[in-house]
Amino acid sequence: MSSDINERVVEGIDEERERPQRAAGLWRDAIRDLRKRPTVIISLLIILVVLAIGFFPSLFTDVDPKACDISRNKAPAEPGHPFGFSHEGCDYFAQTVYGAGPSVQLSLMVVTGTLIVGGLFGILAGFYGGWVDVLFSRAVDVFNSIPFLLGAILLLTMFRDIQMPFVGARLQAIIPAVITLIIFGWTSTMRLVRASVIEARNLDYVHAARSLGASNARLMFRHILPNAVAPVVSLIPLSIAGMISVEATLSFLGLGVRKPEITWGLMIDDATKWFVNGYPMLLIIPSAFLIATVLAFVLLGDAIRDALDPKLR
Amino acid sequence: MTVELDRQGSHNGYVEGLPGYRDDAPLLEVEDLQVEFHTRDGVARAVNGVDFSLRAGETLAVVGESGSGKSVTAQAIMGILEEPPARVAGGEIRFRGVDLLKLSAERRRRIRANHVAMVFQDALSALNPVWTVGFQLGELFRKHRGMSRKDARRRAVELLDMVRIPAAAQRVDEYPHQFSGGMRQRVMIAMALALDPEVLIADEPTTALDVTVQAQIMRLLSDIQAERHMGLILITHDLGVVADVADDITVMYAGRAVEQANVRDTFASPAHPYTKALLRSIPRLDVKGQRLEVIAGLPPVLTDIPPGCAFAPRCGYAQDVCRTERPPLSTVTAGRSAACHFASEVMTDDVN
Amino acid sequence: MGRYVIRRLLQAVLTLFFVLFLLHYLLSLAIQVNGNPARTFFGDKPATPEQIAAVEAKFGTDDPCLDRLGDPCLGMFQQRMADWMTLDFGTNFDGYAVTDEIVRAVPPTLILFAISTSVWVLFGVTTGVLAAMKRGRFFDYLVRAGTTFTVAVPTFLLLVITQQLVGVSLGNWARDTFGRESVLGIVFQPSYDDRYPFLSLLVPGILLGAFGIAGITRLSRTSMLENLRADFVRTAKAKGLTSRRVTIVHTLRNSLIPVITLVGFTLADALGGTVITEGIYSIPGMGGLAYNATRENDLPVVIAIVAILSVCFMVVTLLIDLLYAVLDPRIRYE
Ligand SMILES: Nc1ncnc2c1ncn2[C@@H]1O[C@H](COP(=O)(O)OP(=O)(O)OP(=O)(O)O)[C@@H](O)[C@H]1O
Ligand code: SF4
Ligand SMILES: [Mg+2]
Repeated sequence: MSSDINERVVEGIDEERERPQRAAGLWRDAIRDLRKRPTVIISLLIILVVLAIGFFPSLFTDVDPKACDISRNKAPAEPGHPFGFSHEGCDYFAQTVYGAGPSVQLSLMVVTGTLIVGGLFGILAGFYGGWVDVLFSRAVDVFNSIPFLLGAILLLTMFRDIQMPFVGARLQAIIPAVITLIIFGWTSTMRLVRASVIEARNLDYVHAARSLGASNARLMFRHILPNAVAPVVSLIPLSIAGMISVEATLSFLGLGVRKPEITWGLMIDDATKWFVNGYPMLLIIPSAFLIATVLAFVLLGDAIRDALDPKLR
Repeated sequence: MTVELDRQGSHNGYVEGLPGYRDDAPLLEVEDLQVEFHTRDGVARAVNGVDFSLRAGETLAVVGESGSGKSVTAQAIMGILEEPPARVAGGEIRFRGVDLLKLSAERRRRIRANHVAMVFQDALSALNPVWTVGFQLGELFRKHRGMSRKDARRRAVELLDMVRIPAAAQRVDEYPHQFSGGMRQRVMIAMALALDPEVLIADEPTTALDVTVQAQIMRLLSDIQAERHMGLILITHDLGVVADVADDITVMYAGRAVEQANVRDTFASPAHPYTKALLRSIPRLDVKGQRLEVIAGLPPVLTDIPPGCAFAPRCGYAQDVCRTERPPLSTVTAGRSAACHFASEVMTDDVN
Repeated sequence: MGRYVIRRLLQAVLTLFFVLFLLHYLLSLAIQVNGNPARTFFGDKPATPEQIAAVEAKFGTDDPCLDRLGDPCLGMFQQRMADWMTLDFGTNFDGYAVTDEIVRAVPPTLILFAISTSVWVLFGVTTGVLAAMKRGRFFDYLVRAGTTFTVAVPTFLLLVITQQLVGVSLGNWARDTFGRESVLGIVFQPSYDDRYPFLSLLVPGILLGAFGIAGITRLSRTSMLENLRADFVRTAKAKGLTSRRVTIVHTLRNSLIPVITLVGFTLADALGGTVITEGIYSIPGMGGLAYNATRENDLPVVIAIVAILSVCFMVVTLLIDLLYAVLDPRIRYE
C-alpha cells in the first residue's frame, strides 16, 4: 500500500526526472528480488560452468575426445575415464565436455543476431510507424507463416554443403545453422520491441523531449530504447535455452553440426539404440547435461520475467 | 418515468427465520469490523474497528482518504472479499439482526443482490466485456427468480427503462463498451436494483464520470432510494454531494471510523481534527491525484500501525497521550461520536 | 465485421504470395549456389551434356536462369505457381510424382495431428485453469514445475526416451504377455504400423501433445489469474451467483479468448514437432516425408511440403483470427 502512495507522490514530479527514477527502481527491485532466490543462484552457477566448458573445453579434460579405440566400446567407467566409453570407444567424459561447445556458441551467436536484427527492425517499425511499420510487420507475417523448425530444416537442407572461406571447421559446422536460425528467429524479438517502443513513444517525457527538439536518433536510443529493454531482457535467457534445444534437435536430425564434430545432439542420436539395451548411461549423460543447461536458462529467464512483472507471479 | 417492481412484502424473503432475525431490528449494523490482508510484506490491517448503523430510507456517507478502508468495508459487508489474502478478523455485520458473518456461504450468497447490493466505481471494468448488457441483467432474474430467458430479457428492458436509458429495447442487446460512461453507470445501478434490495452500497459511483454526468447519476440514485425507502451507503470523496444527499456521515481514517454524526452537525463543527482538515480541503477534493497534498503527511503503513492515535503524526492538536493511548470512538454530545482524546476541544475550537 | 473479414483475407492472400515467392526464391538460390541437382543424379558417373539436359528437363531445372546467381527466375515462378495451382508438385529424385507421395502422407499426419492437438488443448487448458484456481497450492506448483520441465527438455529427447521406454520396453512386455496382435501390443510399439494407423499413432500423438503443452497451460493460467481478480468477476460475485457460475460464465469464458490466439502460434511448433515425431517413429506422414527428403537432399519434396504446411498454417491462423473476432465483441469495432 505504501508503494501505491509513493507512486501518487511521484506523479507530481517533473517528467524528465521521473523516468530514470522509475526505471532504476524497477531494476533495483528486480535485482533485489532475484538475489533472494536460490533457483537464480543455482541457475547462474550452472550457466557459468556451461559457458566455461563451452568455450574452454581443454580446461576440463586432457583427453582427446576424438582419440577412440573401438576395442573399448561401451566399456564402463574407470579411473581417468569417469563416464566410460562411447559405442565407438571414445572417452565419454571428453566427448561430453567437447559436446557443449557447438550448442553454447551457436545459441549465443543466434541470440545476439536476433537481438540486433529484431531489435533494430522493431525500433524502426515502432518509432516511425506508417509504411515502415507496415513493411516490417508484413515481413514478420511472411516469416511467421513458415513454421520455425520447417523453415530451418528447409534452409539447412538447401545450403548445407556450402563451403565458407576463411572459417575453421568448427565454425563452418555451425555458421549455416546460425544464419538460418537468425533468419527465422528475429520476428519475435521484433514484435516485442515494436510493441514496447510504441508504448514508450507515447509517454509524456518522450513528447517533452521531442518538443525540446531532440533528434530522432537521440529520441530512439536515449529515451525510447531504455524503456523497451525490460521485456527483451527476460527474453534473452529464454531464447538461449530455446536455441540450445533447437541446435540439439537439428544435430539429431542430421542438419546441424555433423560428425566428426561432437555435440550433445549427436551423442544422443548415437546413444538412443543402447538405452534399453543395457547401456542407459550413454543416453542419460548427454541428456542430463543438455537438460540441466536448458533448464538453467529457462529458470533464469522465468525468474527475471517474474521479477520485472510481479503481478503474474 | 419509473416502473413499479413487484415487491414481495418489504423484503425478498431470504433472511426471515435465520438466527437473530427481528423484523424491528435496524436494517444494517456494523460493529467493530476488522479485516486484514495477508501479504508478503506482512499483515495489513485495512479495517480495524468500524462501527455504524443504517436505517431504512437513510443515506449514510462514508468518507476518508484513499486507502482508509472504505471499499474493503463495503466488500466485507457484501461478502465478496477475496479470501485469502483477505480475512475478516473480527466483528459483526448484522442485517435485521442476523449476523451475516456467521452464515454459511450458500445463505450468504442468496443475501447478495436480493437484500444487499452494490454499485461499483468503474462500470467499464465492472461489467463483463464479453456478454451483452441484457444477458448480465437478465442473469439475475434467471438465476435468482428462475425466469425464462425471454421473461428475463423483458425485465432487463424494464430496468434499463427505469434508469432512464433511451431506446432500452434496442440497447439491451449491446455490449458494455458500446455505452457511454454515464449510461454504463446507469446499467450498473439497474443491475444492483434488479432484485429490489433493501441496502444499496454505492462505492464512488460517480468518480469515473464527467462532472456534468455526475449530477445526473447522483440524482437518479437518490430518487430511487427515496422512492423505494432503501438504505444507501454512499462512499465518496465529494463532500459537496455528501452535503446534498446524505443524512449521516462516517469519517474513516486508517481503517477506523474516527467520527460519526449527522451531516449538518459534522459540517458545522467537526469533532475530529481529521474531519476538520478534510473539510478545509473541499474545493480540491474531487480532483484525483491531488487528494494527498490536501493534508500534510501520509497515513500510516497498514502493516505497522503505531500505538496510540493513528492520526497523531499529522495532527495539530496532538499531545503526548495521543502517541500512547488509542482514543476509542465515544460519544461527544448526543448523537455524535468521535475517536479523539480532545474531541470536545476540537469541536468548540472555531479555528478552521 | 464484414470489412474486417475482407481486410484480413486480402492480407492473408498477400502474405501467401510472398511466402510462396520466398520459398521459390530460396529454391532457385539453392540451385544457383549448389549446382544443378541433375548433376548429382549421376553421382560419380560421367555424363554427356545431352544426358544432363534430359535429366534437367525431367526435373524442371533446365531454365538458364538457374545458372545466374541471384536471378529471381520469375518465369519459373510463374510456371511453378501454375503447376502448384493444379496440385502438380513435380517429381522427386526417384521419379515419382511428389503429389502422389504427399497424398499418401496426409492421413497419418492428420491423425497424429488430431490426437496431439486434442490432448494439447483439452489437457493444456484444463491444467492451466485448475492451476490458476488453486494458485499457490501444491497442484499449482506441480503444474508450473511440469511446464518448466517440458519447456526445458527438447521434444525430440522426450520422444526418443519415451519411445524406448514405452515402445520398446513396455511394448516388448505387452507383446510377450498379450501377443503381437493384441491391442496393447499394437499401441505400445516403437514405430508406425500401417495396418492400424490410429492405434499405432495413439502413443506418439499423446506424447507429442503432452510435450507441447507448456505454452497453452501457462497462458491459460495467467489469463485465468488476470480475470479472476477482474472487477467484473467481483461484480458477478456481488450479484449472488454461485461460484460455479462465476467461474465458468464470468471468468473462464473471458480467459479462453487470448488462449485461442496462442493456438495459432503453437500450431507452428506442433508442425515442427510432427516432423520430429514422424521421423523418430518412422511414420510415413508429411513430416516423415520431409525428414527423409531432408536426409536425401530431395529439394522439390521439401519445398512442396513446407509450402503446403505453411498454407495450412496460414489458413488456421486466419480462421483463429476470425473466431477471435466472433468471441470478443470488442474487436469488431476497432
Ligand atoms: N487485495 C489486497 N491485498 C492487500 N491489501 C489490500 C488489498 N485490497 C485492499 N488492500 C489495502 O487495504 C487498504 C484499504 O483499501 P480500500 O480499497 O478500502 O481503500 P479506499 O478507502 O476504498 O480508498 P480509495 O478512496 O482509493 O478507493 C489499502 O491500503 C489497500 O492497500
Ligand atoms: S487523539 Fe490526539 S492525535 Fe488523535 S486526532 Fe485527537 S488530538 Fe489528534
Ligand atoms: Mg475505494
